[in-house]
Amino acid sequence: MRVRRPGPGWIAAVLGVLAGVGACGRAPSPSDAGLAALPWDSIVQRARGSRVTWVMWRGDPSINRFVDGWVAPRLRERYGIELNPVDGQGAAIVNQLVVEREAGGRGTADLVWINGETFSNLRRERLLFGPWAHRLPSARYLDSASAIVMRDFEADPAGYEAPWGRVQFALIYDSARTPRPPRSVAELAEWIRAHPGRFTHDQSFTGIAFLKQVMYALGGGVARFQGGFHEAEYRRASALVWDWLSRLRPYFWRGGDAYPADVAALERLFANGEVDFAMSMNENEVVTKVRQGVLPPTARALVLRDGSLANAHFLGIPFNAPHKAAAMVVADFLLSPEAQLEKQRPEVWADGTVLAPDRLPRIWADSFARLLSDPRAIPRDTLWRYAVPEVNPRYHERLAQDWRARIRSLRP
Amino acid sequence: MRPGRWGLAGAVLVAAPVLVGIGYTALGAVGVVGVGAQGFGLARIGRVLGERAVWSGLGWTLAVATAATALATAAAVLVAVTFRSTRPGDRAARALALVPLPVPQIVAAAAAVLLLGQSGYLARLAHALGLIGAPEQMPPLVYDRSGVGLILALAWKEAPFLSLIAFSLLAVRGAALEEVARSLGAPAAERFRRVTWPLLWRGMLPAIIAVFIVQAGAYEAAALLAPSDPLALPLLTLERYTDLDLARRADAFVLGFVGMLLAALAVAAHEWARHRWELLEP
Repeated sequence: MRVRRPGPGWIAAVLGVLAGVGACGRAPSPSDAGLAALPWDSIVQRARGSRVTWVMWRGDPSINRFVDGWVAPRLRERYGIELNPVDGQGAAIVNQLVVEREAGGRGTADLVWINGETFSNLRRERLLFGPWAHRLPSARYLDSASAIVMRDFEADPAGYEAPWGRVQFALIYDSARTPRPPRSVAELAEWIRAHPGRFTHDQSFTGIAFLKQVMYALGGGVARFQGGFHEAEYRRASALVWDWLSRLRPYFWRGGDAYPADVAALERLFANGEVDFAMSMNENEVVTKVRQGVLPPTARALVLRDGSLANAHFLGIPFNAPHKAAAMVVADFLLSPEAQLEKQRPEVWADGTVLAPDRLPRIWADSFARLLSDPRAIPRDTLWRYAVPEVNPRYHERLAQDWRARIRSLRP
Repeated sequence: MRPGRWGLAGAVLVAAPVLVGIGYTALGAVGVVGVGAQGFGLARIGRVLGERAVWSGLGWTLAVATAATALATAAAVLVAVTFRSTRPGDRAARALALVPLPVPQIVAAAAAVLLLGQSGYLARLAHALGLIGAPEQMPPLVYDRSGVGLILALAWKEAPFLSLIAFSLLAVRGAALEEVARSLGAPAAERFRRVTWPLLWRGMLPAIIAVFIVQAGAYEAAALLAPSDPLALPLLTLERYTDLDLARRADAFVLGFVGMLLAALAVAAHEWARHRWELLEP
């Protein structure tokens, strides 16, 4: 039987082993070590003429349009940098870098879009270059008072990654089908009971993030899970989640016997009217998806009052990146008020900024204040009022593992 | 170089990436290389092979691949035997049967979701005809434990390939052998049982084995159509390879090796069967 493992990883493994013999153990080029200490002008100087390969999520046409149509031409004109965005995410990035390290030699990626457990795995495996993020000129505008921006699932980025956007978890519903949606975990449970077969969550990241919020709500609030992973606390609170699920499961879609593979599959079920809720780790996804015609015009997003997960996404530079200076310049450009403003426009991507408006020069602060939010979007103050931070990635990891063994597996 | 050596060099070149992959997977499974490598040890293999989820996923995958292969073979034989003449109608039917050949598997799977899902075209048709009142009354054919949607999609995708082989077998050797049987006075049913069927079966067997292996390893179709429990082996392998816990990712090497072992077993079984026939019919 031919079992297909992820393409890039497998191919990289083969090519790496084929090509890597003899190249093992080569140290990073000597110029890398002092790179982050150079004056910014010389970093920009070195960046000129480079081709920056950016491994990122390529699954959203709005994001692709922003990157290909707005970011890339400006980098070319201003810095002589050619941007090469390629598809890749989370675990695949870590796996690829592990294989590249085994193979030795120069890497393939210059910039990686990461956060959470990917960052923690990359740091633990020493696969990131740094510290460099504090050197970015635009870093002075960062919202440094916000734990959501300055911490990554509780971890201190320590200059090994630079934030470039923030998002928040939202449930997506159709205001025509569900005029009075539930607003808390308790109300959601009642709603599920009253509407058998109309609710489910997916098996991958977003679904587990949903369960984590249920864990916060049932387990006494996010504060009880902060400050590292605590086994006893996890056991106590996760038991409440499994109990909640086993009581509600008969009322889930397909009686809780099957779960959509990922959030895209859940969105399909929602769009086709098989279920009444979808979910997203981006509160504005509903706005862009309605515009793309994927979701009905009456689709809306809501945050649960018990707390809605908020996190930031970051940019890292792999230890073996061939063009580290250029990668820093790209990260700085993406963090600039100009790019952050464009990115946050509802008609572009509606990705939240990581900059603090009160730190920005007046002209930019005014532009951010004038940004019209889409009438379909959740108002910013509502979002921020219910935002709760991520906790140690181990909670997510354990919830995923235990959910698979206890709930998904029908005969545990 | 002599022609034989050129052939050998070509074979080695073609096989090299696969052999390196097998070697890397084996080393990964015992913890020597790859993500999550923690030094040589057999504990991981024992732990993974001790999991119920692995065996139920494996069993489910084999059952689905067997059913899909059987269905595709039956369809191919039926089409080849029914439309075998050189008449325009038969030619057109044979051409139509080959239409799905260039369709990528992921497209076939996506089409199956649109057609067979509880909110799919079939359900809408059933609703329009008044057969069902709501989507959930449509029997689940997608993400279902019986794997009906996945089996149909895989069979539809692979039947043309097997048909192509069946057509050429009948065209090249079938007519002459059947003519001999006819002239010896064999009735139609007997001719099919003694001549046509054995000819098709033996000629198609290598392709049937290949189709079985491809279907059992199919990731895209399973990702779109398979249930969450049992989790098909290709899905389980990728889930482990992308587990948040770095230490569990190497489980995928063990699962990958199990998959390759099964492929090798299928090929070996075919060789053995072929060898037996040759002994029986010198």
